[in-house]
Amino acid sequence: MGFSKIEVITSMSKLDGLKTALSKLGVNGMTVVQAIGCGAQNGTFEYEAQQNEEMELLPKQMIIVAVEDEALDNVIETIKRELYTGHIGDGKIFVTPLSNVIRVRTGEEGTEALQSNTSQQATRHQN
Amino acid sequence: MEEKKLGLPSVISTGVGLIVATSCLMSLGQGTGILGTGFIISMILACMINICTALCMAELNAVMPNLTGGLAQYTLAGLGPFVTIVTMVGGYIVCQSIAGSVECAMFGNAINTVFDTGIPSSVFCLLLLAVLITANLLGVDMFAKIQNFVAYGLIISLVIMGLLGTFGLGTGETVEQATNRAGSFSDCFALLGLAFFLFIGSEFVIPISKNVKNERRNVPLGMVLSLLIILGMQIVVVIGMGHYTRLEDLAASPSPHILYGNALLGYAGSLWMILVSVFAVISTVNSAISFLSYMCAGMAKINLMPSIFLKKNKRGAYYVGVLMIGAVMMVINATGLSTSDSLSFMILVAIVFWMVSYVIADINVLIFRHRLPKAPRTFKVPFGPVIPLIAVVGNVFMIWNIDGNPATRNLIFLIDGVIFLALAIYAALWCKLKLKRPMFQAIPVHEVMAMENSLYLVAHRKAQVQQAASKKVVGTASF
Repeated sequence: MGFSKIEVITSMSKLDGLKTALSKLGVNGMTVVQAIGCGAQNGTFEYEAQQNEEMELLPKQMIIVAVEDEALDNVIETIKRELYTGHIGDGKIFVTPLSNVIRVRTGEEGTEALQSNTSQQATRHQN
Repeated sequence: MEEKKLGLPSVISTGVGLIVATSCLMSLGQGTGILGTGFIISMILACMINICTALCMAELNAVMPNLTGGLAQYTLAGLGPFVTIVTMVGGYIVCQSIAGSVECAMFGNAINTVFDTGIPSSVFCLLLLAVLITANLLGVDMFAKIQNFVAYGLIISLVIMGLLGTFGLGTGETVEQATNRAGSFSDCFALLGLAFFLFIGSEFVIPISKNVKNERRNVPLGMVLSLLIILGMQIVVVIGMGHYTRLEDLAASPSPHILYGNALLGYAGSLWMILVSVFAVISTVNSAISFLSYMCAGMAKINLMPSIFLKKNKRGAYYVGVLMIGAVMMVINATGLSTSDSLSFMILVAIVFWMVSYVIADINVLIFRHRLPKAPRTFKVPFGPVIPLIAVVGNVFMIWNIDGNPATRNLIFLIDGVIFLALAIYAALWCKLKLKRPMFQAIPVHEVMAMENSLYLVAHRKAQVQQAASKKVVGTASF
């Protein structure tokens, strides 16, 4: 089974809603990094009449999650819906393939490394 | 994160409260008077078409969320400034001014129906308007505070009176008559315009959507349920009216709800209805004046109307808009709106504008689907383009059948045509001279969203001034 890393760069105010929505989907882990940056508009505020010639870096956050490829489409759709306001600055989503995921404490790899212990136990019970 | 507090019941109560107005009682009485229970068919059809449009509005809100101007901004991004000015100034400002005037006229008629003062009804209307304009200029929000209370009072009264009439529980005498006067479907189609008036306004729910829990489900569902609840409530009233009042009297009365109240419960019924309707008129007209002044300011904010509408007085009221709308309503009322025929005629003249703006809203949905197919909508109208197309066809059909009498229909089209022509001239001049943008070129969604920011106009004016100044310098240097 393949895995993907999703990196979301968005404004500072969107984290709570996104965290709740991803938790509901069963995404188990997330890393959030405070960042500064800009996109295609060079950091121009949406109300401004002229675009900045030089890049103006604005406070952003980068949210990183790793998911199985099976869940990828669903997770991306959820992220898009959560972040969408129609305004400039809603953010960008970068998706890259992962060759493996390893949990250092137990040495587990792949799907097992992404799941929590309780969900692993539940899966074993079902089997 | 802001906590979302409103659930489905709140959405429904807001929707029902905003859709029901006293002038609805006028068209309900008129429709029942002409077709009896046959009017129920017209009401069901009009309600279904309105449900399709309400769903389209919910999708538009999902594509461009949390906008104050609503349909104006959707249309600006969908069809460009010319159509926006014509339909929005026409659809909302002209239509609401006329509808507000009808409400005022009903206030005067209601007083004279019960108390027979001998004073012309228009005097009461003008007095009421003078009070409400002053209240709006002074920023008195007393009437706004009683708005919900009044809306629920009207709704509960209608339900109780409808049920009493339907089950024959009134103290008055029942009338023996054939309650269905519709001979064919074409009779029902002829009153679609009047029936449409009973269901307009569900889009006013959209501004509260940002505070609604599970907005994706609750906003469209709430709008649809509001319309269905109103349909049920009004069907009961139609049946009740057929049991207690002669249909001919209903059709001729300028205050059919008071006539029905009197027939059902005697003088107490009249007093009950007058009390409820007077409060409802005051609350509705007050909010119409306030809403329209904000609407004009909103249009000025996105540079589609003169910036004079953005001027506020010391009390924070957009006084230019308040005075203009108030003056329009006063002029219409001073011309002597009083008979049931003139009132229903004015309603029909007004709602053509509203229907046109609904057609534009439905078309906007199809345009956004084509232009932004991958935009993540939190709500999408099901079955592809079918429902928006049904809504377009339905609204056009209602416009075409605005009145059963061809002479009246032509007169309505003539009046609306002249108003649309005047608006088109204004829109063309505004686009060419002031906005300096192509009339039919849509403005990108992100730019329309940016216009919502209060700094947009300031920043763009500054840029225009700088541009003009630099042109002057270049001109002088070359000279």
